[in-house]
Amino acid sequence: MKEITGAAALVSALKSEGVRHIFGIPGGAIIPVYDVLYEEPSVRHILVRHEQAAAHAADGYARALGKPGVCMATSGPGACNLVTGILNAYMDSSPVVAITGQVPTSFLGTDAFQEADLLSLMLPITKHNFLVKSVQELVEAVRKAFQIAMAGRPGPVHIDLPRDVQTSKAEVKIPAEVLRRRKERYEPDPHRVEEAVKLIEEAERPVLFAGGGVIWSGASPELVELAELLGAPVVTSLMGKGSIPEDHPLSLGMLGMHGRRAANLAVTECDLLIGVGVRFSDRSTGDARHFAPKAKIIHIDVDSVEIGKLVRADVPIVGDAKRTLREILKALRARAKRGVRSEWRERILQMRREFAPKMDYDDVPLKPQRVIKEIMEVLDEDSVVVTEVGQCQMWAAHYYTVRGPRKFISSGGLGTMGFGFPASLGAKVALPHTKVVDVAGDGSFLMNSQELATAVENEINVVCCIFDNSYLGMVKQWQDLFYGGRRSQTYLGKSPDFVKLAEAYGAWGDRVTRPGEMAPKLREALKCGKPAVLDVVIDPEEHVLPMVPAGGKLDQMIVGD
Amino acid sequence: MRTRIFSVLCENVAGVMMRVSRCFTRRQINMDSITVGIEPSGLARIIILFQADDKMTAFMRKILLRLEPILEVQVLEPENSIAREICLFKTRKLEEEEMSETIRLVQSAGGKVLEIREGSLIGEIGGNHEEVERLLSSLGQGMLKEVARSGQVYLSRNNRGSS
Ligand SMILES: Cc1ncc(C[n+]2csc(CCOP(=O)(O)OP(=O)(O)O)c2C)c(N)n1
Ligand SMILES: [Mg+2]
Repeated sequence: MKEITGAAALVSALKSEGVRHIFGIPGGAIIPVYDVLYEEPSVRHILVRHEQAAAHAADGYARALGKPGVCMATSGPGACNLVTGILNAYMDSSPVVAITGQVPTSFLGTDAFQEADLLSLMLPITKHNFLVKSVQELVEAVRKAFQIAMAGRPGPVHIDLPRDVQTSKAEVKIPAEVLRRRKERYEPDPHRVEEAVKLIEEAERPVLFAGGGVIWSGASPELVELAELLGAPVVTSLMGKGSIPEDHPLSLGMLGMHGRRAANLAVTECDLLIGVGVRFSDRSTGDARHFAPKAKIIHIDVDSVEIGKLVRADVPIVGDAKRTLREILKALRARAKRGVRSEWRERILQMRREFAPKMDYDDVPLKPQRVIKEIMEVLDEDSVVVTEVGQCQMWAAHYYTVRGPRKFISSGGLGTMGFGFPASLGAKVALPHTKVVDVAGDGSFLMNSQELATAVENEINVVCCIFDNSYLGMVKQWQDLFYGGRRSQTYLGKSPDFVKLAEAYGAWGDRVTRPGEMAPKLREALKCGKPAVLDVVIDPEEHVLPMVPAGGKLDQMIVGD
Repeated sequence: MRTRIFSVLCENVAGVMMRVSRCFTRRQINMDSITVGIEPSGLARIIILFQADDKMTAFMRKILLRLEPILEVQVLEPENSIAREICLFKTRKLEEEEMSETIRLVQSAGGKVLEIREGSLIGEIGGNHEEVERLLSSLGQGMLKEVARSGQVYLSRNNRGSS
């Protein structure tokens, strides 16, 4: 067997995991790896302009593709810049593998130049992390990292790679299989399934509550089948958006603080709630003690920690969403058929009609609802919408009709401003033939707008639609509603000129100010052959409504007109 | 809230104690004691004592099981397990009379005198927590100059601990 360097071993280990893209920035402590990448045609490295963007791009890539995304950085400052992005991936259960250079092992712990204690820093924000000390350990860590990232509930994994390990030579074998002693439980306990089926049969008004776990386990077909079999509506968390095509008659859209009224009311009225691959976050449930007050709860999740953590579960089922739903469907079909709850179904369809969100505003300044409506006219069911954080995000989550899994990507658990644009670049790299649109806020976009350079240089042609309200709008909304309109430090003003900013980077820029302009300009932007920025000037006074105040009850919403 | 005992079997990898202990810190739980030993298999067994109610105990067990190096978490109940701890102690300089009284106290409590040097005694007591406590309190704070305790280790009486 031939001796190879750690750096070469890393790259071939990555290749054997099927890695084709890496987002990153080099530096002193990881030059040996970049030296190998220099002549490696099968791995495309995308040079970003800030490491936070590398992590978000890898995250967006992973969510769009359903496979791990990889980011890379140098030691110290480079690695620390990844931290927000890794935590974001952890909170939203996204499989990101992060690899960072580290000072040589003999310097560890000495405050050497650009040393940071990454083992400690990454430990609480990853599913697992490694500090590898030898070339053999390195190749095993890579194999494990990819397994762990995807096993059960997905999540990020970090490998810290001292410089001397990159340069030292060893005979290594890329292991076909590595021993992971810990094993996830995917198959549901049949007794629990039986209990669940009993509750389902008895229920008059069942509701399905789907989270990101449905998407990661590929359980959308089973989810829709169960909904149709029962005549039960499906509500989703932000992560679960797209788990059912939202134009399906039984889809009520997102639940919670900025959820749809019909979704919040259905949950309040239901007598059985089936949570699938969802963690009942406070943004979804409001006051957990009054969540689904009339309902028994079945909670299905592959991560047992989530079950019973925030909301009581009458039937807890630890298992993979797809396999569990299949078992439930099988058992239901084998029984005397109860079939569709027609009365409940009628009520759902009626709520869906009654509370259909209004979007056809003609106002100037533009209403964001109108902008989303025009975006929907242009995008097809395959298109991916990525969002930033704030009002823009909640308008997209509330109004945009997603027609399939992995077509709506947003920062949920961490709510990270600056996520959307780099994540959209990751999604576009993953799906080069798909239209990718970032629904951005002016504040969020500026947190990673330097990535316009990355997009232009690498010809990653996404369209960023900035919902420009000159405010940190979501914070302003809270100030308006709960702090007597005292808008402390939320006015952003008129700088920069986003069109000129785009042009300065060599991207395409245009401004949208009137109803009817968005659709044609978005079409043009998608066809212009460059990354594009649309500065969409919207009404700064608009709030995201309805809204359930933090800790409130879902049926007690602040409503608009 | 009462004392809970976890017996955690895990891979003996760097940082595993940190991984385990931060799970408790993050949930505002102070550990009463944490000890670790390596089993013949090369795996490590960590014994953790902490105060919690039933719900938190079940939650913490699942939290630990989610960690990659952790293979098994047994919840030990005091009545189904054997507990031991060892304690070394050094007295201040003793007068002759005090010394013979101290030696008597230590020996009658089942302890051992390990060394007497320059009028100060180094002794050992092993046993369950109460036995150790009893001797230490009968010696009294004024007498003891230094105390080193192992923390409690537990072994399940069953072949499988309740989990
Ligand atoms: C990194 C980060 N800093 C601060 C916040 C707090 N925050 C939440 S929404 C928001 C305003 C976002 O403004 P903008 O991107 O313009 O979106 P808008 O709400 O105006 O649509 C802020 C500051 C955050 N979520 N993330
Ligand atoms: Mg704004």
